[in-house]
Amino acid sequence: MAVFLQSLISGILIGGVYALIGIGLTLIFGVMRVINFAHGDILMVGMYLTYMIFTLLGIDPFVSVLITFPLMFLFGGFLQKVFINRVLDALAQNQILLTIGLGLIMSNTVMLIFTSDYKILSTSYSSATIKVGGGVSVSTPLLISFLITAAITAALYWFLLKTDTGQAIRATAQDRDAAQLMGINVKRMSIIAFGLGSALAGTAGALISPTYYIFPQVGSVFTLKAFVITVLGGMGSVVGATLGGVLIGITESMSAAYISSGWKDVVVFVLFLLVLLFKPSGLMGKSRT
Amino acid sequence: MNKTILKSAFNILLVVGLLLIPRYVESPYALHMMILLFMSVAQGQSWNILGGYAGQHSVGHAAYFGVGAYTTMMLMHSKGVVPWVGVWAGMAAVVVVALIIGSICFRLRGPYFVLASIAVAEIMRLSAINLTPLTNGAEGILATEIPAFKIGATVVTDFVTKVPFYYIGLFLVLLTLAVTYWVQHSKLGYFFQAIREDQDAAHSLGINIALYKNIGLVISAVLTSLAGSFYGIYVGFVDPPTVLGLDVSVQIMLICIIGGMGTIWGPVLGSLILVPLSEALRSNMVTDLLVKIGMVNADSRIGIFLKENLSHAHVLLYGILVVLVILFMPDGLMGFVKKLAARRNREAV
Repeated sequence: MAVFLQSLISGILIGGVYALIGIGLTLIFGVMRVINFAHGDILMVGMYLTYMIFTLLGIDPFVSVLITFPLMFLFGGFLQKVFINRVLDALAQNQILLTIGLGLIMSNTVMLIFTSDYKILSTSYSSATIKVGGGVSVSTPLLISFLITAAITAALYWFLLKTDTGQAIRATAQDRDAAQLMGINVKRMSIIAFGLGSALAGTAGALISPTYYIFPQVGSVFTLKAFVITVLGGMGSVVGATLGGVLIGITESMSAAYISSGWKDVVVFVLFLLVLLFKPSGLMGKSRT
Repeated sequence: MNKTILKSAFNILLVVGLLLIPRYVESPYALHMMILLFMSVAQGQSWNILGGYAGQHSVGHAAYFGVGAYTTMMLMHSKGVVPWVGVWAGMAAVVVVALIIGSICFRLRGPYFVLASIAVAEIMRLSAINLTPLTNGAEGILATEIPAFKIGATVVTDFVTKVPFYYIGLFLVLLTLAVTYWVQHSKLGYFFQAIREDQDAAHSLGINIALYKNIGLVISAVLTSLAGSFYGIYVGFVDPPTVLGLDVSVQIMLICIIGGMGTIWGPVLGSLILVPLSEALRSNMVTDLLVKIGMVNADSRIGIFLKENLSHAHVLLYGILVVLVILFMPDGLMGFVKKLAARRNREAV
């Protein structure tokens, strides 16, 4: 029972970060119908940014989110304006290839700058835990990152539901042409959505940097995970991505505990294929023709 | 008429020339380059059949490449099965894998198909890492020597030089070219193209979509597995990232994207650009050149930095090439050339 509770709790905690990654991807897909294969690499850039801020300026990774978030927002906006914007009407495979190419450029540029060595960002609390009782303990950095994630997610929901810009983004996601006819600047909404998606991915990178190895190729793992999460939740659905993230987190830590940590990703991918087969619209997605 | 004769004469000359190269060229490095080129053309052409003609853009071809390579190498390493028998086992294994993948992934369209194909390749890679007793895990399989090719008691070749590999590679290229040519000019090819252009229209015309997609996949997968087995035996080493990684799938796809999808010469053109470029970077030729023409001082910080890092930069180059090609010539080089030719014709008239 202790093992079960332990894996459930750590699954939920890491699931929060996954949700952040998934929400970013789903926002981008919702507004632009572009699947961003560079999503994990954007997260990786966020990790290195956090690492640099930590080693050069000595700012704690959880505090530096305040710097990473806006910087990554600008980075994402730039990517959208210069590259993605040009292929919005292109074939799906061309969009996919473009983002794969951008991802390769990011990971290999980082490799040229930082070499492919594994970097560790060790803080005083990196391996600290809090005992909950009943043999269950919680990793301190994971708990903090979960709390920050929850706060960001709540703020994001508020932004999307209550603000004018948020509503304009949702309108664009619902029907791009109709939104444009209603006088919404869909081009700007696309830039904001991509910026926001990148900022969320970068923030997720910042939040996991105290507990993960940092290396240039770390992104591809997260790109794939982000897809699993968004497809599970339903492409384009923010609520779905939140749920999907937590579900994938739990699935991973459960299969690591009960099967083996080597096979946990396989379990996730098999689950992914099953969802694609039997409920391709996902948990929260509306079925589209 | 005259044009077709000229064309066939040119093709025959080209093949004869390629067949004769090892007689006159002794440099192992030149032969090595040619072998890499052949491997790349074979990979690209195999992908082209499914991706270019049938329009199913798989980003998981590493699964077939890797399963082919692994099957042949595992059989040779642990059971002592000679590669030219192992290759068939590799193909058989790949057919099974392809049919399983096809039955799952072909129910999905567009981006969902791409995602599913990646997921399957990743499952294969992770399995290769985890099934240590079979695959030797992350360490990979190293083959120290390849058994000689014998017919009866006479030794045909013992694989000491690069020449036998050269001919096997050339054979692979001709095989994939022949299959592509056949696909392009057969009823099957027309079905593929109908599916590519408009799946629903093809369906309403009575084309069995699932069947033909699966046929395309199996042809493409079997040829890819041959290239994989060839790679494994030529290099003598396979491990999960080099034959099953996502990079491999992207690289295979890239050959066609850069050259031009759905054309016979696209993958050839793509390989002619990609292979020399990445080899030049990998072997530090670019740095040496920059030093030679006096642009960079070899002992300066920049020179040392370039020397150390540029050899890893070939993937960066892939990335830049993809972005440029998608933005500026989305139909690949072949499409670009055709467009230029069409423009010139119009101006001439």
